[in-house]
Amino acid sequence: MIEDDVYRTSSQYRLWSYTNASLQSLRATTNDVASQRVRAAIQRVGEAHLSATPSTSGTPQPGSDGETRKPDDKKIECLTPEEELVLVTYYCEKTLELGDEYKPPLPTMVRATAIQYLRRFYLTNSPMTYHPKDIMACALFLATKTDNYYMSLRQFAAGVPGGPSEEKVIAPEFLIMQGLRFTFDVRHPFRGLEGGVMELSAIAQGEGQAAPHMPSETPQELQRALLAIAPHPTPSSSIADRIGRAHGATRELLKSAAQMTDVYFLYTPSQIWMAAFLLADRPLAEFYLDTKLGGPLTQTTESNQNNLQNPLYELRTKLLQVISDCAALLHAYTSLSSDPDQMKSLKRIAKKLYHCQNPEKVNLKRDLAQPPASATDSAAASETESERLAKKRKLEEQKRSTNDMFGPELVADRTKH
Amino acid sequence: MAVSPFASRSPSVTVSSPNAALRLRAAAAQNASGPLATAKSVHHTDRELTEQLNDDVRRKYVKDKRLGEGTYAIVYLGYLRDKPSSYVAIKKIKVNAEYKDGLTMDAIREVKYLQELSHPNVIALHDVFSSKDQNLNLMLIKEADIHYGVAEVKAWMGMLARGVWFCHENFVLHRDIKPNNLLIASDGEVKLADFGLARSFADPYLNMTHQVITRWYRPPELLYGARQYSGAVDVWSMGMVFAELLLRIPFLAGNTDVDQVTKICEALGTPTEENWPGVSELPNYLPPDTHHPLQGRDFFLRMFPTAGPVGCDLLMSMCTLDPRKRTTAVQALRHSWWTVEPRPTRNEDLPQKPGTKKMGEDLGRRGERSMTGCLKMQRDNWTLVL
Repeated sequence: MIEDDVYRTSSQYRLWSYTNASLQSLRATTNDVASQRVRAAIQRVGEAHLSATPSTSGTPQPGSDGETRKPDDKKIECLTPEEELVLVTYYCEKTLELGDEYKPPLPTMVRATAIQYLRRFYLTNSPMTYHPKDIMACALFLATKTDNYYMSLRQFAAGVPGGPSEEKVIAPEFLIMQGLRFTFDVRHPFRGLEGGVMELSAIAQGEGQAAPHMPSETPQELQRALLAIAPHPTPSSSIADRIGRAHGATRELLKSAAQMTDVYFLYTPSQIWMAAFLLADRPLAEFYLDTKLGGPLTQTTESNQNNLQNPLYELRTKLLQVISDCAALLHAYTSLSSDPDQMKSLKRIAKKLYHCQNPEKVNLKRDLAQPPASATDSAAASETESERLAKKRKLEEQKRSTNDMFGPELVADRTKH
Repeated sequence: MAVSPFASRSPSVTVSSPNAALRLRAAAAQNASGPLATAKSVHHTDRELTEQLNDDVRRKYVKDKRLGEGTYAIVYLGYLRDKPSSYVAIKKIKVNAEYKDGLTMDAIREVKYLQELSHPNVIALHDVFSSKDQNLNLMLIKEADIHYGVAEVKAWMGMLARGVWFCHENFVLHRDIKPNNLLIASDGEVKLADFGLARSFADPYLNMTHQVITRWYRPPELLYGARQYSGAVDVWSMGMVFAELLLRIPFLAGNTDVDQVTKICEALGTPTEENWPGVSELPNYLPPDTHHPLQGRDFFLRMFPTAGPVGCDLLMSMCTLDPRKRTTAVQALRHSWWTVEPRPTRNEDLPQKPGTKKMGEDLGRRGERSMTGCLKMQRDNWTLVL
């Protein structure tokens, strides 16, 4: 089995890899379903509000702040798929920052896993249904469990700014796992990068190994070729220094841009690290590719004298195109939090979300206790109970505080500026 | 344990809404084989998309009688609603009231790794779904029992070695290999099961816990508290299983961790700096009172005559004290024992309905999480089809 075959058995490939078009269409569908349900739910809440009578004694009376949920409010402005994505991206950035709140800070791998959980979760769930601020902390906690970074819930919750209760943090865990379709493994590009850097370092020291397709390469030839590559704009004292710098810059890209864009859905881990490497030091990255696949138009070698073309030319061209596309996506990313224009637009989206948040999904614990709506004996049996709960929930929803746009800030603003 | 919705659901309920059921099933069937690109077909019901998918998976199975119960799960026999002849095992993960931190690590590890590993000698996870009380239900097939000689041992060990090799090739350590966790499917195939202690290889210099692997199958480096280890731990366990299959009783059955070390020293030799450089630096290393010399080939030949000299050579290489010198799964697969006489029994000729020798003794030791102790492979009455 070659590595590609192994990768194709992974859940990341089987369930979480898309084309650009299928990704867009899935997000559009999710948005569409959620919008319909939000409109219906807000209408139901409105009606419940109107019909709230003393018969609901024992449950709290609706508050006086019902002005935002008028029953006749039929044309609710819902978020667009693009707006949803901006919001999710913002909370992905927040997840990265949240990891810094711990001593020692959470490993990059754990944070990256949590971010991918969030991104996967919001492919089939809308922020209008489940607010990302409720989901992100739990996704990060789940990642500590799945990535072997043990930490008690108590310890974890204490690190979350705003000090949410342990129950609040853990409440959406099941919902998240369901959204992840019970696949917890995320294939990151970090390890591949380490391997590539090790290979390059070995070549720099004259201990490089010939790639499978280039068995005739000698360590000396490889070393000479590496030393002859085009210089990087920033001069470095030695090739080792240059590799080290490219390594650091690539890691940074993998930690930020690779997490905040769709690259995990669209490319394989090795394509992703190669793309980031290309952005960090193009000549070095191309040299690395050449060691595996030969140059764009290789010189004649003993074995293919009659054929001036590199036998792997097509493969190399295709691969370079894929990697360049991925690199373009990474390059286009700028952090939301550090861009005033994007933050302005984010605030607008947040305000809009406040008006189109599904009122029936606010209390996560409750919501999960609701029996399945479709045909089962047990569900039918407890229908009245669920109705009662639903009614109570609606009433409580109306009492919810109205003036927080985002809820309490999860991560202190100081980290952003 | 709460009763799952399966128990109370009568077939008529499903029939009452055949259209809905069919539609959902079609959607999930498509989704099962690929990304969620087909979501459109289900969007007008009153359930969130992920909830619908879950409902649909749950509806695929019918739960039958209970097969066994452990501290962490209950296993039921089940079958496909559409194909009642196809048995599965449904492993229902209990919600641990003591553990307030959400889903337990056991369950997370098992689900995480089984979702990624697909191999004839590794138990297959078909589906995961939740019942309304938020318990996870994993899917398992029917099995059989045994009566065997060295050709059978070779067949089983070959399948075990392939399963372990596949895990290691995918950078997964099983960390709980023992006869109890080796299930035999109805076609004779050995399935490596129970990934509740599994994890990915750690990156260099990162520590792992040494509190893994059931004691009798635990290698000396873990007993000495090593925090950095490799696939060699699973290979040791494999060696212990091999020895047990040949002896028909557990090979080194220590009563405590210290006793386990003593038994290993007595049987195989005392670890020293000479035969295992660095051993004395392991955290829980205790200088031994008495020194047993390393056992050579003669000992193995006397102890395991049925294995023959070549088989003994393989066994010895799996039971090497120094994990660095121990054979690896891939090296074990290249060993000449597999090709010398006798040839391994073909799966279809492997004993299928053996008289199970019940030990009936609960192995309720710390870390022992499986069903009431069966010391032989054929012991369990079911096979995870997880």
